[in-house]
Amino acid sequence: MINKDLSIDFLGVHFENPFCLSSSPVGNCYEMCAKAFDEGWGGIVFKTIGPEDFKVDEVSPRFDELTKEGTPFVAFKNMEQIAEHPLDQNLADLKKLKENYPNKVVIASIMGPTEKDWEELARLVTEAGADMIEMNLSCPQMTSHAMGSDVGSNPPLVKKYCEAVKRGSSLPMMAKMTPNITDMVPAAKAAMAGGADGIATINTVKSISNVDLEKKTALPIVNGKSSISGLSGKAVKPIALRFIQQLRVAAGLEQLPISGIGGIETWEDAVEFILMGSTTLQVTTAVMQYGYRIVEDMKNGLMHYMEEQGVEHLSELVGLANKNIVPAEDLDRNYKMYPEIDWDKCIGCGRCFISCYDGAHQAISWDEKTRRPSIDTSKCVGCHLCALVCPVHAIHPGKIVMKEGREGDPSKVDVVSQRLY
Amino acid sequence: MTTKDYQTEPQGYTMTTVMEEAARCLLCHDAPCSKACPAHTDPAKFIRSVRFRNVKGAAETIRENNALGAICARVCPTEKYCELACSRSGIDVPIDIGGIQRYVTDFEQAADMHILKKGNSNGMHIAIVGSGPSGLQAAVTLLEKGYGVNIYERSAKAGGYLTYGIPEYRLPSNIVDYEIQRILDLGAEIHYNTTIGKDITMNQLKADNDAVIVAIGASESKMLPMFEGQDNVETAVSFLARAKENKGNLDLPDNVVVVGGGDVAMDVVTTLKKLDVKHVTDCVYEEFSEFKASKKELAGAEAEGVTILDGYVPDHIEGNTVVFKHRHIDSQLAIKTDKVILAIGQDTNAKNLGIRLEHGEAPSAGYRTHDSKVFITGDIAQGDKTVVYAVQKGKEVADEIDAILGGKQND
Repeated sequence: MINKDLSIDFLGVHFENPFCLSSSPVGNCYEMCAKAFDEGWGGIVFKTIGPEDFKVDEVSPRFDELTKEGTPFVAFKNMEQIAEHPLDQNLADLKKLKENYPNKVVIASIMGPTEKDWEELARLVTEAGADMIEMNLSCPQMTSHAMGSDVGSNPPLVKKYCEAVKRGSSLPMMAKMTPNITDMVPAAKAAMAGGADGIATINTVKSISNVDLEKKTALPIVNGKSSISGLSGKAVKPIALRFIQQLRVAAGLEQLPISGIGGIETWEDAVEFILMGSTTLQVTTAVMQYGYRIVEDMKNGLMHYMEEQGVEHLSELVGLANKNIVPAEDLDRNYKMYPEIDWDKCIGCGRCFISCYDGAHQAISWDEKTRRPSIDTSKCVGCHLCALVCPVHAIHPGKIVMKEGREGDPSKVDVVSQRLY
Repeated sequence: MTTKDYQTEPQGYTMTTVMEEAARCLLCHDAPCSKACPAHTDPAKFIRSVRFRNVKGAAETIRENNALGAICARVCPTEKYCELACSRSGIDVPIDIGGIQRYVTDFEQAADMHILKKGNSNGMHIAIVGSGPSGLQAAVTLLEKGYGVNIYERSAKAGGYLTYGIPEYRLPSNIVDYEIQRILDLGAEIHYNTTIGKDITMNQLKADNDAVIVAIGASESKMLPMFEGQDNVETAVSFLARAKENKGNLDLPDNVVVVGGGDVAMDVVTTLKKLDVKHVTDCVYEEFSEFKASKKELAGAEAEGVTILDGYVPDHIEGNTVVFKHRHIDSQLAIKTDKVILAIGQDTNAKNLGIRLEHGEAPSAGYRTHDSKVFITGDIAQGDKTVVYAVQKGKEVADEIDAILGGKQND
């Protein structure tokens, strides 16, 4: 079995691999985190610890899922708040984790309603032996509006609380940002100005996942009512990648250290977050659905990818895609690429015809006798919707032509990925 | 006559369809499939790897456990093992574990992965007589532990029944060749066309090596006295080997009667049909309720249109007519035929090997013989006679030899 070094340094802390549990129900006590370490996770962000006097009082049930056709957990909605165990017990668990797993990274997530609380919590988790602090400025379902995403979308408050944490601790600290904001850059800048060493993002996206047609409320139903709360899982990955990209290229935030979060399930997801600029990765939803064991394939697959890419150290991959994401106005609009149908693969279902007619430019005609599509290049705009809907992947990038009156060499156009799977 | 049907393996999964199948897997805790594999393959783990798009990792899980993973994917009677245990059956039908394994091992080949690693040489040498599945797996396990391995094969090609028995449409020759090449690349040396007692003696092997493994299998077809000396009678072993060697180009009559109801018999009747023999009649000792062949093989034969008469045993011959009688009911069949193929079981030819066998099998369990330097594995060792068991026995005999010779113990 392949074995490659997956270690990476983040905010001055050495991680044996970049895979961490994010602050959530999956890291709620010593036993859970210990099992995660045993199964190969590099670090854990312990479920957010709040002040002694904040009493967590959860609803039942508290989760929902978005499905599509037969696929469960396309997205996951949760209404759970921060750690429900007493402060002393949480601190004792942190201490025991660090004692028993000295080579793993133990990150304390904290959250408070006042500067004093932030400072005090930072001091307490530092005393407990945590390696790093994550400030939870982003939970969208707190019962107190003095905590959570309402704070994270308020840059002056973010800065003030970051300063408070830095007063309470000299540990490396990352501020966990909310995506429930149009532009994350001001909040991230405020965090960095307040002393944060890096950013963790994204937290969950405010959502209503489903509406119950009989009860006429959202899911999950809590005695006839429901609330807006955080969405996570595969469906939020594109949102997370977008925010991370915007942070990485924002003026004044160049080379921003990021712990990437949002829908990571596979090694490929992990690589995407790394290429977009994440140094470490955090996962919850996939663990809730499948268990800690998913880290095995994330690590192994990442090793194989590094081998294929000729990469010796994971840090070489961080942010490699950032420069290739450009504003829409900077994209090459001089050519179009026609789709090409592989007749050995086409099974004659006609889905490309339907989608082209109803969703694109009526460039595919349908032969009822032979049950085969054909592409009319005079109408085709090269959008490739047909390729996306084809169930047997019979439609590939085909001929590239320059648009009328445009200069350029079609053979130099860089479009086709060489990956075979 | 066209041989295309015989030569062509059914299409396997694509990346899209294998993901659909893997998505049916329930990803069980304490997965029953993984406990049900005689060769200790871990289907739950490799299916999970596929599910999480780590096909290379899946290939490692299969290959590190089974040197013949691509072969087992195709020929293992999974319905009796992993798929029988599959929890998905509680919903509808089990996961197609063999099919997923085939996808993964095909990917491994396409990606030119080299997963098996030779151990550091420990200076010791083992001779293996026979290059069937058990001998090949024993060779790989020993090579991984650092032994030098010489394999003695009486035929021109390695693989035993894999090469000379299982029909092309079930197990393409190029798959077998590739698996064997992998083992050669690992450092095994195969001496072809070499018969023990004729080209080299057992005493010589014992003198030249630290241990000798006899893995000769049951390669001789059984014969019934009434058919002996008949021109139109051929054994299954002979017929299947001729079919494979000639890529299906055989001169066959329109009407063939086959005797036997195991997997070998199913291979024979299905091959005959795929080679366009019009009338294939299979008379089987067992009734359907006690059938020996795997359901998959039986279904394959039925799909080809083979006539199967269950419960009938050959009684006597009258010229070209074979007369069968039913075992339980008062019924007699007289079938005039141009050719009879006997698939009634196999025997072992252990001449000149100095080992004692009873009914083609060692008299006691395990892999040792009365000679402390000689071991057995494969079909002549006690236990099931399938490829997957042969693989497991190959690993076990290698581990036992290693334990005795003081090499590194398997953990």
